[in-house]
Amino acid sequence: MGMSSNPPRSPGDVIVGKWRGNRYVVERLLGKGANGTVYLVNREGRREKYALKIGYDALDLQSEINVMTSLQSCRARQDWQDRAAAPLAAYFLEADDASEGGFPFYVMRYVHGMPLHYFLSKKGSSWLGLIGLKLLDRLSGLHEYGFIFGDLKPENVVVSEYGEAELIDFGGAGPIGRSVKQFTEWHDRGFWNAGSRIGDESYDLFAFAVLCLRLLDESGLKQAARQLPQTRSAEDLVKLANQLPDKKLASWLGMALKGGFSTSAQAKEMWRSHVYKSRIGKPEPMATPRWLTGAFALSLCLLAFTVYWIYRF
Amino acid sequence: MKQILLITDGCSNVGESPVMAAAHALQDGITVNVIGVVDYGTIGELGSREIEDIAKAGGGLSRIVGTPQLAQTMQMMTRKTVVQTIQQAVNKEVKKILGDGSLEDLPPAKRSQVVTVVDELSETAPLRLALLIDASASMKPKLAAVEDAIRDLALSLEAREGVSEISVFHFPGTTGEPAVLDMDWSTNVSDIRALFGRIRMKGATPTGPAIFKVLEHFRYGTLNEHQVRFAAHSDDGEGMPGGYVV
Repeated sequence: MGMSSNPPRSPGDVIVGKWRGNRYVVERLLGKGANGTVYLVNREGRREKYALKIGYDALDLQSEINVMTSLQSCRARQDWQDRAAAPLAAYFLEADDASEGGFPFYVMRYVHGMPLHYFLSKKGSSWLGLIGLKLLDRLSGLHEYGFIFGDLKPENVVVSEYGEAELIDFGGAGPIGRSVKQFTEWHDRGFWNAGSRIGDESYDLFAFAVLCLRLLDESGLKQAARQLPQTRSAEDLVKLANQLPDKKLASWLGMALKGGFSTSAQAKEMWRSHVYKSRIGKPEPMATPRWLTGAFALSLCLLAFTVYWIYRF
Repeated sequence: MKQILLITDGCSNVGESPVMAAAHALQDGITVNVIGVVDYGTIGELGSREIEDIAKAGGGLSRIVGTPQLAQTMQMMTRKTVVQTIQQAVNKEVKKILGDGSLEDLPPAKRSQVVTVVDELSETAPLRLALLIDASASMKPKLAAVEDAIRDLALSLEAREGVSEISVFHFPGTTGEPAVLDMDWSTNVSDIRALFGRIRMKGATPTGPAIFKVLEHFRYGTLNEHQVRFAAHSDDGEGMPGGYVV
């Protein structure tokens, strides 16, 4: 079915661009998306590493490239604005065809990290407040430029060791108002009988809310998804959200699931003030251990003694 | 754009060859996609070859899946076929302008423009999709899943900017018709409800005659008109179904 006839690339393989002539050396496989396979590569003559995506189909890949380049040009036009807030800060590098084999590929910035669900299971769900904020920031940036991400799920979010979050795989992205091209059952508003598949800001916010539920209560979500298709509803998801211990997060999720936010910018601000700040607002009180008080007193004495000793001579 | 999506679980055993029927469909500008549904065991070598051949003759795609993947496969196939149909049309234009050469041969900047046009048309061009559901006895346990998948597909099509209409047929009919219309052209997802509730299952699988019946529906819109043309059609010597099992 039009799936790739391209053989997998092995480490050391060189991919040379037919049109632009750049040479990329394959280091290893990074992952597979709906439209292609992604490799970690070195570009000859540069020290940085990049991610290189080989497409299964020239048209599908070009469609994805088009979204990214139009985002990039939106960014360029608004460059006087906050650079860091741009949804794709120098994300896309170049597109080309291989001189040998002729397959289409594009090169993008490599985000060193792991998929969101691995990150949270390793570092603890207390990171969700911060990473959620960064993600909403990315999404509202996309929306501002007139695009939706579409296929939002933990697998499509890479988080660096220090909590920097980046959206990867723009195969589902497209202009606001168009039908959503690619989606994943659980994260899809239509799957839950909660609205259309027309891409709008609340489509991404719905998918984001399901992403949070999946990260915090995957078994509950699985159970809710197993119902008969006609009986699935956003209400089931709201119930799941309400069972979460964090009540502020629960009410935010409820809003997103019911399409209650008028814009993603508003949703982001709500997240910042309720979910993110509520974490920061209550630092855990920590009693100073007695040995530390003792040690501190001792070091003070030592200091006094040292000062006395120095000035004596 | 016109498409037929055939959902079946085995070999046709009555009437004309479904491969020929699909070739006729393609001649009429209708693409035929085929999904073979298997839940336990396999569909058999003969069945899977027929499924592939029908799709090839009909200029479409074929896949063999289990019911859990049905909805996703239907959605993906319909979209891919829409894009392909548009791409073929656009490619013709591209060839006029650039001489010989396919999308892959275009330099990146040109290719980007062509794909923008293809994406635009894929989203906005009107689409008519006839679903043809095999309702022979072995399909009975799968029909609920088929109906859910149809509803899901309709939801996706409803989101398109262009007008998207779906009609649903099952085959064979209880009184000997090769195919029965369950739902006429509709743009409304909510019309799809309890489609196959009343179906009495039959053993025969007249896939070929059923495809011909759907072609008639495409040509003449309503079934009444079709009855008139039906007779005329058999005079053409195209071989109307004669002795399929009742």
